[in-house]
Amino acid sequence: MKDFDLEGLSREMPYTMPEHFLDDMTERVVAQIGKQRKHRTERRIVALFASAASVAAVALLFLHPFGSNGLNIPDYESISQCASVDEVLQSMTADELGVYSLMSNYYGN
Amino acid sequence: MKRDQSDIVNNQGSLSVSDESIARLLCDDNHVEEAVRLIMKKYGEPLYWHIRRMVVAHDDAEDCLQETMINVYKYRSTYSNEYPLSSWLYKIATNESLKLLKNRSGFTMSVDDLGDSLKDSVREEASPNADETLILLQEAIALLPAKQKMVFNLRYYDDKSYEEIHQIVGDSINTLKTNYHYAVQKIKDYILEHQL
Repeated sequence: MKDFDLEGLSREMPYTMPEHFLDDMTERVVAQIGKQRKHRTERRIVALFASAASVAAVALLFLHPFGSNGLNIPDYESISQCASVDEVLQSMTADELGVYSLMSNYYGN
Repeated sequence: MKRDQSDIVNNQGSLSVSDESIARLLCDDNHVEEAVRLIMKKYGEPLYWHIRRMVVAHDDAEDCLQETMINVYKYRSTYSNEYPLSSWLYKIATNESLKLLKNRSGFTMSVDDLGDSLKDSVREEASPNADETLILLQEAIALLPAKQKMVFNLRYYDDKSYEEIHQIVGDSINTLKTNYHYAVQKIKDYILEHQL
């Protein structure tokens, strides 16, 4: 029976590869990988900021004065510790008193 | 780049980087692009021809090779050095080729049904001065079922051992040998039938 010598045949291909094809392909692949890496880094930064913002928001909720004491209104003790109006007026210089009376007239107080 | 003991300076004085060095660079985020360049330099051409023999058309081979390299980057953490780097690369390239053929065949046909259209592409893609027997050989390969085609190409053109083909294709060595045997027989029959 007739046989064909496959092993003796050339391993050459009947096709051609365009010139510089592999170099161009390398540059394209490297550029695409660079883009993907950049996107990944940006995504990581956004995620980092998002988690930092969440932590800050939670911390603010626990540490802010209205978190523990309701509205931000000074309590009675801190009001009583304030100097009386008379004491303040007594400590003012003549110029300051002039400005005070001018402003009082202006605001109707 | 740090040279490894396994990196060899060849006769032309250029550095032939070992697969171990390339694999190390590939896993290092700061050197991944360098690793991809080295892979393209060392394996770009054999991978291109491996894909081209499967998909026939240059444009398809181009798409597959690009996708293969992107997947090499994407899935680099899955590479295990218990297998040679080349087997891993060939496996990705083979999968990409099969994926393209599967997309081409659609839902109603299998990849193996594409034989006739691939065979027709062989003559369209062949160089005008190509040897007629080489064209017949490619036509015969195009008509083979995908598994036989893969095994035949890897053994006949890439000189891969059955162990390496097993790492790429995944079948048992006996199955691979059977596939190769059938492939050779079908190719011989086709060439004898069509040769002038």
